[in-house]
Amino acid sequence: MKCYLCALDKKDTEAVAICIVCGMGVCMDHLVREELDVWEGGYPFPSRKLKRKLPRILCKPCYAAYHEG
Amino acid sequence: MSLMKRSIAEVVGTFMLVYFGAGSAAITLMISKGSSPPNPFNIGIGSLGGLGDWFAIGMAFAIAIAASIYALGRISGAHLNPAVTIALWATKRFPTRDVVPYILAQLVGASLASFLFAASVGMDAVTVGGLGATAPFPGIGYWQAVLAEAIGTFLLMLTIMGIAVDERAPPGFAGLIIGLVVGGIITTTGNIAGSSLNPARTFGPYLGDYVLAGNSLWQFFPIYIIGPIAGAVIAAFLYDYLSGE
Repeated sequence: MKCYLCALDKKDTEAVAICIVCGMGVCMDHLVREELDVWEGGYPFPSRKLKRKLPRILCKPCYAAYHEG
Repeated sequence: MSLMKRSIAEVVGTFMLVYFGAGSAAITLMISKGSSPPNPFNIGIGSLGGLGDWFAIGMAFAIAIAASIYALGRISGAHLNPAVTIALWATKRFPTRDVVPYILAQLVGASLASFLFAASVGMDAVTVGGLGATAPFPGIGYWQAVLAEAIGTFLLMLTIMGIAVDERAPPGFAGLIIGLVVGGIITTTGNIAGSSLNPARTFGPYLGDYVLAGNSLWQFFPIYIIGPIAGAVIAAFLYDYLSGE
């Protein structure tokens, strides 16, 4: 799979990931990787943050859209 | 989350339950003061709107409990009730070291609520409303009151097990359903022994009545320890038995 955003610029770059929101293939230059906290528990037990985080990869347009608000 | 933060959350949650819930019972008695109850079983709650008076009190508890569970459930677990804490501990779901701090926090929250309710309303809240303290109603014996409190708390704890503790429960409904269940129990059995279902909920008004007006109801306090704890523990073990493979 090729990077969709590079393809728009007439470049032929291999994709290294898929955006979890829109599904486009993206290269290293066009992705954003974030690690989200994972919580366990809740009523009637106190919730606790787990040591391991959940990785999420988005393309730059989706990342920008999510963080606009 | 530190034990200190969780304990403060229990103080706040139990405060809300007693200030708004028990407070609504005190206000009902104050509003009905001077009316002529139709029979001795009616002490004033019910003389305005029959069972509607109890429904209103039940809804005050329901809303306060639902709000506290949604606001504080992730922090402390929002037990708000020593009987719930003990039942979760008895079924090995709650650590032994946290039981006493949680119960103390619940008693402190309930006591603060009673004193601040008296400060908000005035001494009529104590002398007329009794700060919403619970006691067996005329004609209800000591062990009848224990039984009513045990059965009421049994239903409450069974609901908590099914809607919150069980991992198969649908998410998001616990606060609403548990609040409404308490409201329903109070509506139907409030006129037996006050439908406390909670040793802390009774402790706060008892302490307030005793300190502020010298009115001692402590002889009834064992009802609200034995009944709720027995009902909650039995419900928790029964649920585990019924839902086990």
